[in-house]
Amino acid sequence: MIWLICALVTASVLLYVFYLPGKLQLGPEKTRLGYLRERREAVYENLRDLNFEYKAGKFPDADYQSMKLSLEEEAAGILAEIARLEEAARLHRIGRGAV
Amino acid sequence: MPQIGSFALLLALCLSAYSFVAGILALAFPGRGSERLGETARRAGIASFAVVFLAALVLVVAAFTDDFSIAYIFHHSNRDLPAPYKFATLWSGQEGSLLFWSLLLAAYGLVLRLRHKTDNRLFAYASMIIAAVQVFFLLLLNFAAHPFAIMQGSRPADGSGLNPLLQYPEMVIHPPMLYLGYVGFTVPFAFALGALIMKYPGEKWIHITRRWTMITWGFLTCGVFLGAHWAYSVLGWGGYWGWDPVENASLMPWLTGTAFLHSVMMQEKRGMLKTWNMWLIFSTFMLSIFGTFLTRSGVVSSVHAFAQSSIGTWFVIFLAVIFAACLAFYIKNRSHLRSEHKLESLVSRESSFLFNNLLLLVACFTVLWGTLFPVLSEWVQGNKVTVGPPFFNRVNVPVALLLLLLTAVGPLLAWRKTSIESLKRNFLWPALGAFAAGVLLISFGIRPWRDVSYLYSLMTIMLSVLVGLTVISEFVRGGRVIARHTGQNLLASMVQLGHRNTRRYGGYIVHFGVIVIMIGFAGAAFNQDKEQEMGYGEKLNIATYTLVCRSYTQDDNPNYESEWAVMDVFKGGKQIATMNPERRFYKASQQMATMVANRSTLKEDLYLVYEGLNQDTGRPIIKAHLNPLVLWIWIGVWIMIVGTIVALLPNAVPVRVPAPARIHAAAPVGAGD
Repeated sequence: MIWLICALVTASVLLYVFYLPGKLQLGPEKTRLGYLRERREAVYENLRDLNFEYKAGKFPDADYQSMKLSLEEEAAGILAEIARLEEAARLHRIGRGAV
Repeated sequence: MPQIGSFALLLALCLSAYSFVAGILALAFPGRGSERLGETARRAGIASFAVVFLAALVLVVAAFTDDFSIAYIFHHSNRDLPAPYKFATLWSGQEGSLLFWSLLLAAYGLVLRLRHKTDNRLFAYASMIIAAVQVFFLLLLNFAAHPFAIMQGSRPADGSGLNPLLQYPEMVIHPPMLYLGYVGFTVPFAFALGALIMKYPGEKWIHITRRWTMITWGFLTCGVFLGAHWAYSVLGWGGYWGWDPVENASLMPWLTGTAFLHSVMMQEKRGMLKTWNMWLIFSTFMLSIFGTFLTRSGVVSSVHAFAQSSIGTWFVIFLAVIFAACLAFYIKNRSHLRSEHKLESLVSRESSFLFNNLLLLVACFTVLWGTLFPVLSEWVQGNKVTVGPPFFNRVNVPVALLLLLLTAVGPLLAWRKTSIESLKRNFLWPALGAFAAGVLLISFGIRPWRDVSYLYSLMTIMLSVLVGLTVISEFVRGGRVIARHTGQNLLASMVQLGHRNTRRYGGYIVHFGVIVIMIGFAGAAFNQDKEQEMGYGEKLNIATYTLVCRSYTQDDNPNYESEWAVMDVFKGGKQIATMNPERRFYKASQQMATMVANRSTLKEDLYLVYEGLNQDTGRPIIKAHLNPLVLWIWIGVWIMIVGTIVALLPNAVPVRVPAPARIHAAAPVGAGD
C-alpha cells in the first residue's frame, strides 16, 4: 500500500513537471526604454509628492521652486532619451518594413 | 506512515535540486529548448511544495495518532497532550522545525512561481535561488535531522511529552510567526541577488518585492513580540526581554530588515544607495539563517533554544556559501549598482534615512557582538565570558533614543535639501509639545538627575511625544489639503489621505505604534518587586496594593500536577481582584513550569509568581512585581500590525486639483511619500 502511494505521488509529480502541452507564453524582455518609462513615472510621482507637501505648507515658496526645477530637469532628461529611443525604434520598424 | 514522510522528503529534494539545476541551465544557455527547460524547473519548484506539504502532514497525523515509533513524536509529544500542542509538535523540536522552515519556503516559492508572468526572467532567477536554499534545508532533513527516524527497539507506550515551557497558547503561534518572518526574507533576497546576477535594469524588483518584504517584516515583528510576551507570561522573572541569544537572533534580521524598508525608498525615489540596499537585504537573509542556526544548533545556551545538535557545521558552511556567492556576484556586477544621484545636503530626507540606517546597523552589530561574545571569548581565551543586559542597554538605549529623534525629524524633511525656514515651520510646535511633556513629567515627580534610567525614561517619553505630534501634524496638514479640495470634514479627509498613499500613512501608523511601545519600555525604569512567604491571611504590600493570601492548594490532571495560591488584591482598602499564581509539574517530561498571574492595566501590571513551597513551613513563596506601562507595549504592537496592513493596501486613485497659480499645468495630488 505504501509503495503504491509513493508510486502514485511520483507519477503525478513527473506528469505535472514534464508534460507541457502547447506553446509557452513568455512576457517581453526588459529594455532600456522600459527602464526609462519606470524612471519617468518615479520622477512624476516625486513631483506630485512635492506639490502635495507644498500645498500642505511644509516648504516655503523658494524651496518649492528650487526642488521643482531640479525634478523637472531630471524629467526632461529622461523624456529626451525616451523620445530618442522611440524614434530609433520607429525608424528600425520602417526599415524592416521596407526590406 | 513514516515511510511515506521519508519518501516525500527525498522526492522534494530531487525536485528542488532539479528546479535549481534546470533553472541555471535554462538561464545560462538561452536558445532552443531553454524556455521549456525553464518551465519544467518552475513546475518542479511548484511540485516540491505539494511533496513537502505531504511530509509535514504525515508528521502532524503521526502526532495526533500517537505514533511513538517515530523518534521525533516520542520526544515531543505524549498521549495526554492537548490537541493544539499536538499540532504544534510540528515546530516544537529541531527536525520538525526544519521541516516547517522547508514547508514555508516551499509555500513562498509556490506563490512566487505562480506569479511568474510579471517578469519571467527575473522570476526565473528568483525561483532558482529559492530552489538552492530549499536544497540546503532538504539535505539537512534527509541526511542530518530526519524527522521520520524510527525508534530503536520496541514501540514505547507513551511519549516523553512536550517541553512544559512550550505548553502555552502563544507557543502555538509564536514560532510560525517568527519562521514566516525568517523564511520570508528569502524572497526579497532571491529577487535582489537575481537582479544583481542578471544586471536587471531599474528598480522594478523593489516594487515586486515591496509587499513581500513588508509582509515578512510584519510577521517577524509579531514573532519577536509574541516571544517577548511568552517570556513575560511563562518564564516568571518579571521581564519581557532579557537579551537572550535567541531573542537577539530574532532581533538582528528585524533591525536590518527595518533599515532596508527605509533605505529602499531612496533607491525607488532617487536611484541612490543601490549597493547599500543590496547588502542590507543580503545581510538580513544571512541573519535569518544565522537566527535559525542559533536556535537550532545549541551553540549558545538560551531559555528559548530547544535543541542541542551537530547541525551547526551545516549552517556555517551554508552561510559561507551564501556570503561567497553574494560577494562574487557583487564584485562581478558592481558597476550595475552605481548611484544615480549624490547626497546633496546633510539636512534632507535622504540623510535622515542614511542616519537611521547607520543607527539600526550599530544596534544590530552590538547585538551580534554581545550574542557571539561567549563563543568568541571561549575560542580566544578558553573560557566563556557572557555579556549581560547592561552591555546591550548601554549601547542600544541611546541608539533607540536617536532613532526616535530621526523618526520625528525624517518625515518633516524635504528630499534633496531642507532650508532653515522650512525646519522652523515644521518643528516649532512639535518641539514645544515635547518640551511641555518633559516639564509635566518632572512636575509629576520624575527626577532625571537621580538615576540615568530615569533620564532615559524622560527622554523616551519626550521624544515619543515629538514623534506623535509630527505624525499627527502630517495627517492634519495632508487632511486639510484634501478637505480644501473635496469639501469633506477633516477626519474624513485624513482617512481619504491614508487611502491615497497607504504606504506612507501606513508607515506613520507603524511609527505611532513604535512610540507607544517605547513609552511601555520607558516604564521599566520604575519597576518594583517584593518576595514573601505567605500563610493563610498574611499580607504583602507593594506600592498601593495589598495582597492577602486567602488559601493555597494543589490539583492533579493527566497532563500535570499543580500548586497554586489564591490571592485577594486590595487597593485603597477595597478588593479589586483575586489572582492565582501557579506552578505545574508536567508528568511526561518530569519538568516544572510557572504560570504567572498578571493583572494588567494601562498604568501598570501587578505580576505574581508562585515561587514554590517552603519545605520547612509548607507555605508558598510569592513574588510580586509591579511593572508600569507594560500593556502599552502590547497595544503598540497591535498598532504596528494595523499600520503594516494599511501600508500593504493598494492606493486609491489620487484626486486631481489645480496646481498653485504660478504652475501652469494641473498636477494631480497624490499624498506624498
